[in-house]
Amino acid sequence: MKGISHFISGVTAASFCPWAVEAAMEGNPLYFVLGGAFGVLPDTLDFKFYRFFYYHDIYVEPEGGNPDPQRIAEQAAKAVEMALKEKRTVRLKLSTVRMGADFWRQYSIKFDSEKQEVQVRIGAVVNTGQVPVPGSEPKENQKIGRAKLVCPIVQTYDAVTRVDIFDGPTFAMQPDEQGRVVLHFLPWHRSWTHSFTLGAAFAALGWLIWGWQAAVVIMAGLSVHVLEDQMGLMGSNLFFPITKKRFHGLHLMRAGDSVPNFGVVWTCCLLIFWNLYRHIPSPTFKFTFLQLVFYGAVIPLGAFWLAHFLLTRGKKAEEAVAPGQDEFDEPVAAS
Amino acid sequence: MSAALSVLVATLVGTVLSCVISVLPALHAYNVLGAFVMGMFALTARGIELAPEVYLPFMVGMIVGWSMLNTIPSILLGAPDESAMFTVLPGQKYLMFGRGYEGTMVTGVGGLAGVFFLVFIVGPFAPKVLPPVQEVLRLHMHWILWVIITFILMTEWPKGGNWGPGGWKKFFDAWRSLGAGLLTFFLSGFLGFILLYRSPVSVDVAFQNIMPAFVGLFAIPWCLLNIISGTRVPKQHISKSLDIDGDLILRSVGAGGLGGGFAAFFPVVTGGVGGLLAGHATAQRDERVFIMSQGVSKLVYYVGAFMLLFVPGLGITRGGAAWMMRQLYMPRTYYDYYMILAAIAIAGAVSFLMMSPLTRATIWFIEKTNYRNASVFALAIILAIVYVMTGWGGILVMTVATGIGLIPVLFASRRLNCLGVLLLPIACNMSGFGQDIAAWLGLI
Repeated sequence: MKGISHFISGVTAASFCPWAVEAAMEGNPLYFVLGGAFGVLPDTLDFKFYRFFYYHDIYVEPEGGNPDPQRIAEQAAKAVEMALKEKRTVRLKLSTVRMGADFWRQYSIKFDSEKQEVQVRIGAVVNTGQVPVPGSEPKENQKIGRAKLVCPIVQTYDAVTRVDIFDGPTFAMQPDEQGRVVLHFLPWHRSWTHSFTLGAAFAALGWLIWGWQAAVVIMAGLSVHVLEDQMGLMGSNLFFPITKKRFHGLHLMRAGDSVPNFGVVWTCCLLIFWNLYRHIPSPTFKFTFLQLVFYGAVIPLGAFWLAHFLLTRGKKAEEAVAPGQDEFDEPVAAS
Repeated sequence: MSAALSVLVATLVGTVLSCVISVLPALHAYNVLGAFVMGMFALTARGIELAPEVYLPFMVGMIVGWSMLNTIPSILLGAPDESAMFTVLPGQKYLMFGRGYEGTMVTGVGGLAGVFFLVFIVGPFAPKVLPPVQEVLRLHMHWILWVIITFILMTEWPKGGNWGPGGWKKFFDAWRSLGAGLLTFFLSGFLGFILLYRSPVSVDVAFQNIMPAFVGLFAIPWCLLNIISGTRVPKQHISKSLDIDGDLILRSVGAGGLGGGFAAFFPVVTGGVGGLLAGHATAQRDERVFIMSQGVSKLVYYVGAFMLLFVPGLGITRGGAAWMMRQLYMPRTYYDYYMILAAIAIAGAVSFLMMSPLTRATIWFIEKTNYRNASVFALAIILAIVYVMTGWGGILVMTVATGIGLIPVLFASRRLNCLGVLLLPIACNMSGFGQDIAAWLGLI
């Protein structure tokens, strides 16, 4: 999920603690700040600390002016081969290609388990908003590179990964006992940082500094983040170091999907509001939780959805006619 | 003259006058309204009383017109106020692709959509919805502010550390921009404490205290960047259509209405912060939606904040214009409320109609003048306004603020961190330890 969803979920977790609301009413923001901070902390640890120290066996750094898709594909295939032959996990890093202050050459990599090959396609130049620059696509004969894989691969994430802005992705190639190589996307993400054990460690620290109330808030905030991430494709290593691998996610959503993210944020706002309302001794305005949900969610979101539906009916019919294809011009199953 | 005609004429005068102040970079509607309020006091001292049906719609016309039309210098002259911060970078991209007119007009459509949102959606429901919301949240504003500060500081994305093997070098490369962001926040917070407790700006113009700081933090660094980089603006194409549809507008209103509304309702939270939060919450990828939603957010923030004073049964004052207006008049009835809504609607329509000719005129100016000279001209106006309004004390504050405002420009960190100038001292005060910190800093 996006950072704001995790953050406000942590704040919401804090709002369920009566001492947090009481302290806030007396002018002490500590528990809510802790809830939000620890709600977003796992991703902060990964994206702002851990990934900069993560070691890779192979670095793919395409040439700036004219990246060679064949070379990229061969290096990716080499990583798979190395993992199989050396019987160890090999880490492959795909770097982005910066073309200027605000421009990046986009490329895509596909690990095709049916054809047992890796394909790389060089795309257009995009800006930091990932909007393509018109006329920047490479020539046809410079676009695609292919390399055969020495063994079958097992996908745990999307088959196609797009590499464009800022930091490029990492893959971990892990051989299994059946002579295959399992591909793990962003192996440094959601490992030890997204575990309940880390939450417990931080909670213990919080107890020492601020007392048991802070420990509860810290544990709740971090745990909510971990649980939310199980909805996605990647899961996490829930009980590090007792467990060694990331549990599979439930595949219910993607981290960047706008509807579930917004849904979480909106729901959290209503829950926080309700929890604050419950602590008002003699409120002037009285309402039930169901009324809050009806007037706060059902009506406004329902009206928005209805307007969106009416305004996009024609567009959806057009999109339904064209079959989905990925960047490699191969059919994609409708989701 | 009947009340309705007074409202209409006053709104039109205020809106048309706003187009003059809107195209001048750094001149904020609040600065002019501050002078207007002082003028009203002078008239009252001479025994001349103007009816509320005259000065209230006039003020509305100024605020609505400025919120809509100030997009023009923000995008085309690269001189944004804080609320337009997020618009400028994508807006300038449009400018550099010869589509400055389109980018500005898309933002203007957002402003008009914001007017619809305020008049037809917020307007009817605010008297029912906002009073209970205020009752619940009244005692919790302080921690909401702290939570927002925490979010701003924790969610900045590192710009560097993207290449090379893992290690300390990579880590420090990434943390250059993050460290600069934190430094910006705390330095601007320090500046905020100075302005709150020991401002060099004269007491006579204390209501303009924050203006030099905001100008230095947000507007001047952009101008300097344009001047130093010698930006060349390509020929601009005046498009006949904007390539937008109803769903785009709907999504923009959703995102911008939330952000601007949040900023309008919560004290100290400004349009830029509201825009950031709404942008994250709604996760819109389309750049047109982003730009349009910033237009919505800016208008809803400034106009909505003023409008809150008029919501019957609410009784809150938000935004500089409302605080100034309270000195003249305290609204109480639905009559005042509907009058303001009508003035917002009229001003919104008129200012949107002025958007296209003013944008074309500004583009003509840029193309004739050369962008670097236009930026120099903008900078000269900014300096003159700051000096006239606040004197040498204001120039000093502006200079210091410019130094701080240049940090995010040079290190590619988030410019929103400059809002520490407001967020940090006020959050500390709301939590009851602002004076302790000021004393520790030696300010009192």
